[in-house]
Amino acid sequence: MANTGGGAQALTILSPIKNGYLGETTFADETFKRCMNIRIHEESPLAKIPDTYLARLYVLNDVLYESKPANDTILNLNDLFSLFKGKYRLRGLPKTDKLKSRYLVFSSNFHGESDEDLDRYLKNLYLHWDYTDYYGKRHDIHHIWRHCVAYDKVKSADDFVSYMRKCALDTSLFFNGSNGDSLKEQLKALYLKQELSRFAINHQGKSAGEIQTAWHAFIDRVRPTDLEAPSWKPGQSTVRTS
Amino acid sequence: MTSSVMERQAKVAGKTLNLSDIQGNVVRAYGHIGYFHARYLFFRINDPGNARAFLTRVAERVTNSAYADSKRNTRQTTSKASTNVAFTFAGLQAIELPAGSLMGFPQEFAAGMKKRMSILGDEGSSAPEHWDNIWQKEVHLWVSINGLSNADVEERYQWILRQNKDSGDGVELLSGHRGAAGEEDLMFQTGAILRDENGNPSGKEHFGYRDGISDPVFEGQPNAPDTVLGRGKLLAGDKWAPLAPGEFLLGHLDEAQEYPKAPMPRSLAQNGTFMVYRKLHQNVATFRRYLDDSAAQFEGSKEMLAAKFCGRWRDNGAPIVDAPDDAGKKCWDARFEAADAAEKRRMLTDFHYNDDIDGARCPMSGHLRRMNPRGSLEFGQKGAFNTPSALADRRRILRRGLPYGQSGPDTNDADDHGIIFMALNASIERQFEFVQQQWVNYGNDFKEGNDKEILLGNHTGEGKAVLQVEPGSGKPPHFLTKLPRFVECRGGDYFFVPGITALKMIAAGIVDPT
Repeated sequence: MANTGGGAQALTILSPIKNGYLGETTFADETFKRCMNIRIHEESPLAKIPDTYLARLYVLNDVLYESKPANDTILNLNDLFSLFKGKYRLRGLPKTDKLKSRYLVFSSNFHGESDEDLDRYLKNLYLHWDYTDYYGKRHDIHHIWRHCVAYDKVKSADDFVSYMRKCALDTSLFFNGSNGDSLKEQLKALYLKQELSRFAINHQGKSAGEIQTAWHAFIDRVRPTDLEAPSWKPGQSTVRTS
Repeated sequence: MTSSVMERQAKVAGKTLNLSDIQGNVVRAYGHIGYFHARYLFFRINDPGNARAFLTRVAERVTNSAYADSKRNTRQTTSKASTNVAFTFAGLQAIELPAGSLMGFPQEFAAGMKKRMSILGDEGSSAPEHWDNIWQKEVHLWVSINGLSNADVEERYQWILRQNKDSGDGVELLSGHRGAAGEEDLMFQTGAILRDENGNPSGKEHFGYRDGISDPVFEGQPNAPDTVLGRGKLLAGDKWAPLAPGEFLLGHLDEAQEYPKAPMPRSLAQNGTFMVYRKLHQNVATFRRYLDDSAAQFEGSKEMLAAKFCGRWRDNGAPIVDAPDDAGKKCWDARFEAADAAEKRRMLTDFHYNDDIDGARCPMSGHLRRMNPRGSLEFGQKGAFNTPSALADRRRILRRGLPYGQSGPDTNDADDHGIIFMALNASIERQFEFVQQQWVNYGNDFKEGNDKEILLGNHTGEGKAVLQVEPGSGKPPHFLTKLPRFVECRGGDYFFVPGITALKMIAAGIVDPT
């Protein structure tokens, strides 16, 4: 599959949103608003989904019109016509495409290459998605996908997995910022990198003896082989000073 | 997703506008739903965090354009008042919009109206030093309230002030509006429809013309098919088609098949527009005197001369190209009287200047012809452009606003009365500013040299305008001489009117241009 590689999988899901209104707001605008009220970083529900490197949600309103593709032939036919009349050149422009609906886009890079990994990942998405929004209200996953076409048939984790797989693209939209190691390994590595930099700065100019003593204490504290703790938290995006 | 499911989607997105994401008064003027009273408030942002909290509350009640679709019952058709919000560039800075987004705004918007005074012809009595006090301050935020009655407007006004208080006074209501009783420091600008002697809404402005008859019609407006005649763009064979929505709404294709220049991210610009707010003072006494004096030497009635100034007759808005003189007006009135509502609408808007190439009916410097030349810039050379109105299609503006003040029989120029004029367009520079600079205060595109547009031109008491006659008719043209300034600018600025979603993003502080 074109969307896996190096231990990772790039998942892109486009769920069409129903055309219509919830009160005075279109379903798509309502979905956007719900996405807008999801907390981010460590407090994001996406941080609770095991093995997520990066994930985002957004509403795709339409495709963009790109006008006439550039080409490197000396002259194309429409340009030749425009010697006589501008309207022939205008007629040569491609027709504008429009999407039939607006889409909720879920895009994620996660650890795991196989189909089983994808199923497990989507199941976890369904089971672990639970969050409190900026207004203190608690929501499950249905709150976000509720207004998508045919989503009303999703009643269980298995329904959810097959719905998402139907909406998934077979294309690789990889986030260029992580390798194929497991999430825990990557978070630990980020933590160690940060702590080691700090250690080096704090002990600059000290004697070899002092540094050695401090180093043992440092290793005991940061436990390099323990992937559970201490480490960065899933969703963490900035260096902690403590 | 299977194609059958896709096909079950009721409508094709893109064919219609997302009306509930566009602020009210944009797609359809509020006058259509009986909002005859308005208040315009201007705020300064003092605390960006609390200002965003205030905007978050206000955004929940900001009025959208859903009422423009008469087939849908919306909250708006049952609400007694509306609320809308817009920002100056300084306001977007004060609310802490990211630099990456600020950089994407057009230069004229960033500069603001005062700095564009020489382009706009805001000189002499229109110069910024004569503007209302409020425009001597830095304005950040515009909040407008339109309503069925003054009491409804007052109620919403109090609600808005409460929201600010409850969110920590992040914004400050600025004083400094002139008023009818000579006040200099009122807290808001009022606007209200003028009424006739029986107290019924007249739809007129202070010079006595029926106003707001013919606004541009663009794709996606629910009533476009019924209203496009004379209001869209003119195609070959005298056909009319709606203009591209991108002439008025950001994030949509315009007449050049391009997206209007707009800030990033796209969601910040989507369904937004730019507004020009101008307080236009009318020298009513000067106008009446000038009309009386000129009529004495004019071959025709005083009302016919007034119609020549504008391009429409004052009493009912009859276009002068179809009712060219007093006798023609009588015939037109008889037909108008007998017509049904749809035909009446058509008679008022469905005209062009193809049979009036020399300006013998509607003068080249008449208000209507200068504001929207329709196909007349071809000067009778069929096929000069891709479509007859191609040059005018990029210069159209949506006109909004209401008169302010009163002007009785004994009124003088010093009274505070005029029009709160609001123009909506995708590009202030290409649309509003161009019309103001090239078509109002200059006449070359109309083969009129330096002659300015009669009603709005920044006249100095020296200029002239020509009322043309049929070539070969043996009649001499009539010259209007020593034109005084009928209309003066008393303040205003350029505003960004975001879409509803964008407004909520600004209020939440989550606009991300990366």
